Order: sequence, then structure tokens, then C-alpha cells
Amino acid sequence: MKKLLVLVLLCLSVFAFGKTTINFWHAMSGSRLGAVDAIIEGFNAENPGIEVIAQFTGSYAETLTKAIASYRAGDQPHIVQVYEVGLQTMLDSNAIKPVFELSGPDFDWGDVIGPILDYYTVGDQLYSMPFNSSSAILYYNKDIFRAAGLDPNKPPSTFDELYEMGRIIVESGAAQGGISFGWPAWVFEQTHSVHGQFYANNENGRVGKATEVYFNDAFGVKVLAEWIKWAQAKVFMYGGREYDANQAFLTKQVAMLIQSTSSVSSIESKADFEMGTTFLPVMPGYPKGNSVIGGATLWVMKGHTDEEYEAIWKFFQYLMKTEVTAEWHKSTGYFPATNSAVKKLMDEGWFAENPNHLTAFLQILSGTRIPEAQGVRLGNFVAIRDIVDGAIENAIQYTGSDYEGEAKRILDDAAEKTNTTLEEYTLIYGK
Amino acid sequence: MHSRFPNRFLPYLLLLPSVVVVIIFLIVPTIQSLYLSFFRVSPFGDRLIFVGWYNFSKLFKSSDYIDSLVITLVFAVFVVLIGLTLGMLLSVLLNQKLKGLQVYRTLFIWTYAISPAVAGTIWALMFSPSSGPITFLLKAIFGANVNWMMDGKVALVAVIIAASWKMLGYNIIFFLSGLQTIPQELMEASAIDGASSLRRFFKITVPLLSPTTFFLLIMNTLYAFFQVFGLIDIMTKGGPGDATQVLVYKLYRDGFINLDTGFASAQSIVLFIFVAILTVVQFRFAEQKVFYG
Repeated sequence: MKKLLVLVLLCLSVFAFGKTTINFWHAMSGSRLGAVDAIIEGFNAENPGIEVIAQFTGSYAETLTKAIASYRAGDQPHIVQVYEVGLQTMLDSNAIKPVFELSGPDFDWGDVIGPILDYYTVGDQLYSMPFNSSSAILYYNKDIFRAAGLDPNKPPSTFDELYEMGRIIVESGAAQGGISFGWPAWVFEQTHSVHGQFYANNENGRVGKATEVYFNDAFGVKVLAEWIKWAQAKVFMYGGREYDANQAFLTKQVAMLIQSTSSVSSIESKADFEMGTTFLPVMPGYPKGNSVIGGATLWVMKGHTDEEYEAIWKFFQYLMKTEVTAEWHKSTGYFPATNSAVKKLMDEGWFAENPNHLTAFLQILSGTRIPEAQGVRLGNFVAIRDIVDGAIENAIQYTGSDYEGEAKRILDDAAEKTNTTLEEYTLIYGK
Repeated sequence: MHSRFPNRFLPYLLLLPSVVVVIIFLIVPTIQSLYLSFFRVSPFGDRLIFVGWYNFSKLFKSSDYIDSLVITLVFAVFVVLIGLTLGMLLSVLLNQKLKGLQVYRTLFIWTYAISPAVAGTIWALMFSPSSGPITFLLKAIFGANVNWMMDGKVALVAVIIAASWKMLGYNIIFFLSGLQTIPQELMEASAIDGASSLRRFFKITVPLLSPTTFFLLIMNTLYAFFQVFGLIDIMTKGGPGDATQVLVYKLYRDGFINLDTGFASAQSIVLFIFVAILTVVQFRFAEQKVFYG
């Protein structure tokens, strides 16, 4: 009997001194999965009392759906990775514990890269933890440029140059198409912010909930009209709504690609041609803006113990460690989160050896930090991205010659649907 | 002929698990759907605002929904037609005494055994604009540059082909068993009387197969409306430009990606009613043509 009691007490004590388990749901697939696991292993090794368990839960949309379902079942994870378009949804969800509550008011966020902080800050407070931030850049195939008689060290800087070079490439037969985009709706947003144009009212939804979009104004119409022109000249080849365009670039069907910098590592390793990267092309005559942050952040869910929140905060601080975030950048291409990490990478000579990893970074640090470039915050942003993707898909199927008229028609239609969506959002959450 | 159970309660007890499963996974969600379709629901489900018929009226006023309805009808008509005619033809061919018949039959039937995800991946690869065999062949033979990611019509054709192909196995199994109930004497007698094989097919085989055909008509319709979600998700995700956005996919989009539960619930109710009406109509009219010998 005594022996049994001792045994039982021993077993129970294991629970008393047991590890704090933190469940972390993320959407990092492919080579990024390995990078995430490496970070987790490192953290767990340094912190024997805490065990972070990372689980790949599908795409960003699937991860968010799962998180919601689990929250409603009372079974939510501690940390969930949500894409930037889920920002407003998470803020209004009443299901999160803001990061500034974990860090305390005195924490100095100064080392975190400015534009990243800007995107996820609401009223001067940080609500979610920056993790994988990226921006869009222009990739190009130097071999195809040479074959078409173009200077491989002079990629296009403006829309007109891109169109001209694209036409030369297609006509010379060096490639089937000039350019393709990944995440077209995101590229449309990027184009607005690069040219210092607001995408929606209330300063892109940052000083108040956005109720109206501006992308069907003169600027947006001009951009879409340009893309229609490119598509008709066979310069632009459509590449799906997410990463599928990478295939067309890797198989040398297109000479150029506008895609997230998070694909830099994987594209470089798979490309069997000489690749270059540069800033996004611009149209002269507009204010200087900036490329905008994309990617995702880590949100902490409500309903856990103080002990667990302390463990989570330890994990977040680990993510900001110079070596950790520098390594994360090296294996994926996402921005290193802190200025210290950038300095370390520079000192090591990493950027000198891997210039393509530096491009997105230089682009975002050389842009301005004006409200138009801070990033768009919309309710139902996922649905709105869909509407814009659909509009772009419709636009490039146009075979007529009235580019601006057709672009205006399509964008007006998309804006109407978007404004209805925004209205419905304020119906639920109020203004 | 009645069976007697030793215990009065045993039959109910044996039925209980199935009934419980049906209630939990079918009845309760349906009632919940009906309830939620009258509300506007927040993504996290914490706020419900009663909006009455708003979701339903928005559906019918929405050009996206009408487009989706048209696409679904076109899709369903083609999938059913191709499935039934090709299925019947192939079954007749597979009902002969050939060497290696089992091999041929297996090759046609296995399409039903694979999952929609696998089927979708196979066809996505076949039609892939950069590396697909069909794209290559079409270019080589017709010089046509077919890119389903840029052309909605091509995408619709691609998913119709994939969906019909997947259901072929199912249709062939049933047609084959239906064919085997046709008495050999009938066929032999008519052959002796001088009927050509075409005549025999249309005058004997088709009428005697009609119960099977009718059954498969219903099943293929249900398949085309409800069970193609996986295929579309893998192949086109409803695109390009919503060209392959069938009703069940739009429902998924609105409910799980856009997190608009109320609106998606309204769509599922409407879809349910629509297919129920369609089935009743089929029973009314098509069943009259069925020859139950």
C-alpha cells in the first residue's frame, strides 16, 4: 500500500514539475518548415522547462480557420501565425492577448526594423509579434536578358522600360513571356504604396475603420490599364493567385517575376540560370512611397495561464535574438527582424555573397515612412483580396483596345463589391 | 416475411449508433445552418446580428452568385452527359469476351477508387501550362497555346474532363452489373432475326439498362453538385476569375476563407433546396421513361 502511494505521488510530482507546453500553429511549408523546426529546437534546448511544439496547420487561410474553430471549442493553441490580411480580424476578435501586454510598457522595440513595427502597431502599441515579414521585389533571368540582347545589369526601373524590355524578349524568342506576378492583388497594393497612393479611406484603415476603397481612382485605373496592355502584348503571363508564378520563372517561360522576397532562397537554389533582383518598377510623376510589408505575424490567444504567457514571451524574445533572426533570414529570405541582425549579416559578408537577399531590404529601407506606405488594414481583407484577384484575372482576358475604359469598369465593379464587404464588416463590429 | 428479434429493444439498440451519427453530423449542422443563415456572424463567432432575409436577398441579387449558378449548371449537365454516355459505351465494350478483360476493366474502374485530391493533381499536371503533356500535345498538333490559368473556358473544360473521368469508374461498375442482367437469349434471338448491333443496342440494351441509367442520373447529378469540391480546390480554386466557381466551392470560399458564416449558411440552404427540387423533378419525369422489366 505504501509503495503504491509513493508511486502515485511520484507520478503526480512529474506533473507538478512538468514542462510548460506551448502549442504553436503555423503555415510555413516546404523549406521554411525546416527553418521553423530549427528555431524551435534551439529554443527548447536553451529552456528545459518549456517545450514549444510547432505544428504545420496548412495554408494561412486553413490555419486561421482552424484557430477559430479551436477557439470556439475552447481548445485554442497558444500562438498562431496569421497572415497580414488577417490583421483587422484578429484585432476585433476578442480572442487575443496583445503582445504589449506580455512585454510590458517599458520594453524597447527600437531594434525592430521600422516598417515592420509600423505595419503591426495600432495606436502606438504592438499587438502581434513580427516573425516572417517580406516585401515584393522584381526577380529577373540574366541569361534570357543576354539572349535577347539586353544588358543583364540594367533591369527595368520603370513601367515603360519593363514593357519595352518585355516586348524585346518575347519578340526575340528568348522567352515565352516577359513577366509574371505572384499574389497579384498584393502586387496591386504594393504598386499603390510604392507610389505614395492611398488604397482605402481613413488612411488605409489605420485612423479609423476603412469604409471605402480608392483603388478605382485614376491611379489604380492607370496601373490596371498598363497590365492589360502588357497582357495583350504577351509580355505579362498570369501565374495564379499565390506562388504558382514561380514555376513559370524557374522553367524560363518568363524572364521576370514580381514575387515576395521570401521566395529568394528557394528560387536561387532551384534556378539553373543566373538570377538578379531589383526594386519594383515605378511610373514617374508620383510621390515616393515604399514597398509594403507582407507575410505574417504571431498572435497570442487568450485563455491561458500566466505561466504560459511568461513562457511565450521568453520564446518571442528568443525570436528576436540576433543569431536566431539572422539564421531565419538566411534560410528563407524573409527580413531579419532587428537592426542588430542586419549589422551581423553585413559584418559576416553575407550580403556581399548573397546580393539578392539584400534587395528587398534596401528597397524598404530606402523608401519613405509615410502613412500611404504603412500598409492597408481592412476588415474582411481576405474576401477583398479575392475580389481584386478576380478583377485582375478578368482584366487580363480583355481583348479590346480601350484599356483605361475597361480597367475603370472592372475596378468600379470590384470597388462596389469591396465597399459592400467593408460595410458589412462595420455592421458587425461598429465603426 | 418478418424476422423476430429475441429482444424487443435490440433492433433499436443496433440502429442507435447510425442514428446518433446522422443526427450529430447531418441533422444538427443542417438546423444550425438554417439558423445561422438569418444572421450576420463575426469570424470568431462571438457576435451574431439578426438580419432576417438579407443573406438570401443578397444571394439572388449578387451577380457572382448568378454566375456561379450558371457555371454549376453547365458543369453538371456536361459531367452527367459525358459520364452516362461514355460510361454506357465503355461498359458495353467491356462486356464482351476479350482476352485480358479483367485488366481493361480494372484500368477503367480504378478512377473511382482514387481520392479527389489525387485526381485533381493528376489533371492539374496534365494541363499544366509550363510542363503538362496535354498542353504540349495541343501545341504540337494544333499549334494552340492553351493556358487554363489565363482562360476561364479552358479551365472549365479541364475540370469537366477531370470530374467526368473520376466518375467513370463508378458509372462503369453499375452499367456492367446492369448489362449482366440482360438475358443472353434476347440478344441472340434478335441477332438471329437480323438486327444489327446498333439496333440491338438501342432497342434492347438501352431500355433494359434504363433503371441503372436512371439511378446513375441521380447519382451523377448529386456528384456534380456536391462532391466535386476537392477536385476544384486542387485544380483551379474556383478561378481563373471565378470561371470554375461552382456553387459548392463558392460556399466554401465564403464560409471558410472569408469567414462569412451567415452568408455561406444561406448558400448551403439554397443549394440543398435546389438539388432537392432537381431530384424530385428527375423522379417525376425521368422515371416515367424507365422500363422496369
